[in-house]
Amino acid sequence: MTEPFYHAKHRVLRRTVRAFCEQELRPIAAEIDREARFPWEVVEKMGRLGYFGIQAPSGLGGAGLDTVSYVIIIEEVSRVCAAIGLCLSVHNSVALYPILAFGSSEQQQRWVPPLARGEKIGAFCLTEPNAGSDPGSIVATALPDGDHWVVNANKVFVTNGGIADVCLIFARTDPQAGRKGISVIVAERGVPEFVVGDLEDLCGMRANPVTSVRLNDCRVPRDHLLGKPGQGLAIGLAALDIGRVGIAAQALGIAQAALEEGVRYANERRQFGVPLSRHQAVQMMVADMATQVDAARMMVYRAAFMRDSGDPVSLAAAQAKLFASEAACTVTDSAVQIHGGYGYSKAYAVERYYRDARVTRIYEGTSEVHRMVIAREVLG
Amino acid sequence: MGIHCLVCIKSVVRAAPKGVGPRTPENSELNPFDRPALEAALQIREAEGGSVTALSMGPEVGLEALAEALAMGADHAILVNDRVLSGSDTLVTAQVLAAAVTRIGPVDFLFFGTRSADSDTGQVGPQTATLLGIPFLGGVKEIRRGDTAWEIRRVMDDWDELWQADTPLALTIHPRAYPPRSIALPGIAQAYDSLEIDTWRLADLGLTADGVGLAGSPTRVVRLQEVRRDRKCRMLEGEPQEQVDALVAHLGRLGAMESS
Repeated sequence: MTEPFYHAKHRVLRRTVRAFCEQELRPIAAEIDREARFPWEVVEKMGRLGYFGIQAPSGLGGAGLDTVSYVIIIEEVSRVCAAIGLCLSVHNSVALYPILAFGSSEQQQRWVPPLARGEKIGAFCLTEPNAGSDPGSIVATALPDGDHWVVNANKVFVTNGGIADVCLIFARTDPQAGRKGISVIVAERGVPEFVVGDLEDLCGMRANPVTSVRLNDCRVPRDHLLGKPGQGLAIGLAALDIGRVGIAAQALGIAQAALEEGVRYANERRQFGVPLSRHQAVQMMVADMATQVDAARMMVYRAAFMRDSGDPVSLAAAQAKLFASEAACTVTDSAVQIHGGYGYSKAYAVERYYRDARVTRIYEGTSEVHRMVIAREVLG
Repeated sequence: MGIHCLVCIKSVVRAAPKGVGPRTPENSELNPFDRPALEAALQIREAEGGSVTALSMGPEVGLEALAEALAMGADHAILVNDRVLSGSDTLVTAQVLAAAVTRIGPVDFLFFGTRSADSDTGQVGPQTATLLGIPFLGGVKEIRRGDTAWEIRRVMDDWDELWQADTPLALTIHPRAYPPRSIALPGIAQAYDSLEIDTWRLADLGLTADGVGLAGSPTRVVRLQEVRRDRKCRMLEGEPQEQVDALVAHLGRLGAMESS
């Protein structure tokens, strides 16, 4: 029941995206998780259909949709295949969006059309081995040298890292200026100094090629600076505001999938002569799951709606991300519990949902960082 | 100039757990059997140039099905909507559609799905063609331009038929021919950012209330009752071979299989 935040367009959109995901992603979701394989065959189709340029204007090859639409798409894709939901969320919100919001017109003309059509994939390279929740402590540098920046960076846990062509690198352009000396440089893959590391062997989201990205004395043209020098953390935070809504939508999609599977199994499986759903212990679990999913949905769609209305969204986005990711973990845990031993087996989808949900409490800001953000907003 | 394709579509009830109830956007959708018809029309436009018009008769929820047709790529959309049309049977529906087709103007191809997912009659396409006095071919698998006329392929039982026909021509498209395209997201944004659907009332078509709706329909649904099918579960016991023998014998008794 997300009607307060909906137009007719959103209903048709959800139906369209769900049909596509059921047809194209459902049949391969378990397999690409097992094989840790990025499904180019489906991703190319999604690129042609506009999934990689959801909010980019149509003049730049995008779909020209709003934030509520974005959330619907991420929720629906993640309901079937969270790893591809992750790919889309990161690509659209923390790679493409900063170029749209902070890029010069020339930069937009160069990067947005291929990104929006999915011909190139984007990534956001902030985290380093010793800088995650505290982005101000990154050590990557980009120092001016003639017409170029000389970039040295060791970025880890880069979502889409194995496939990204356009990477937003957070680096110090003024090493003396502390947090105000961090800038965003757009580096393109394809030169020897741009090194993509091995795939991380992760617990969940295994179809997404998460890698490290290292730039060793990599020369990047001077006009690849996004925004102004020293604006890096501001760009990062603005990107993460929308990114958090995307991750919240992703967590919501996983939780919704787990709820559906839990309900289905509770109605099918019989113990003590009746379906599990006749046992009060299971009913209590299902009631809590449904309530958590519904509350998460309200918060996620409210944040998206506020953003479309032009309201400040940092608090609502942080609350939605915190709540939805925690809910996803609780709900997938309950879904496994309802399935009993079968839920712990890869033969059932809830095992994957359980693994996929866990990282939503970690990336794009841990739950603890979100509580810090929320407390700061609330306490003033 | 190009080819003008007109596709008649219906907003159908997706799930009606307690019989007939009010139609809402949540319980309605574009008839899945109409999607291949839209796809065929769009492919003809892509190959030959021209335009595609989607036409629907029904309550206001039909706007959503038409918007979906626009998102798929249709150029124009028209809804014939009037309270007095409520209760119209297939003949009246065909009369109204025929009047609308006439008002729209010259049409080369008039497309329908083979049937609707909710009322499942399959009558509206052929009836409309008859009323308009144009040739009709049903269950079409392929449409292509021949040397002298259009060539229309349809499959009946084990026979593959190739027909020649001139336009104007009415067709229903086989549900498995012309798999409908996935709707591109920019199509949804464009369709809704400037949603242009004409709404025509009965008076616009020169028809009167006494000839349509329940009053004008020669047939009506007088009772609607859910059919309950009893399903019995019988566990077969014994060794696998004994179970197979018992199953074969049982299917033989049912006439579903020749018993040995």
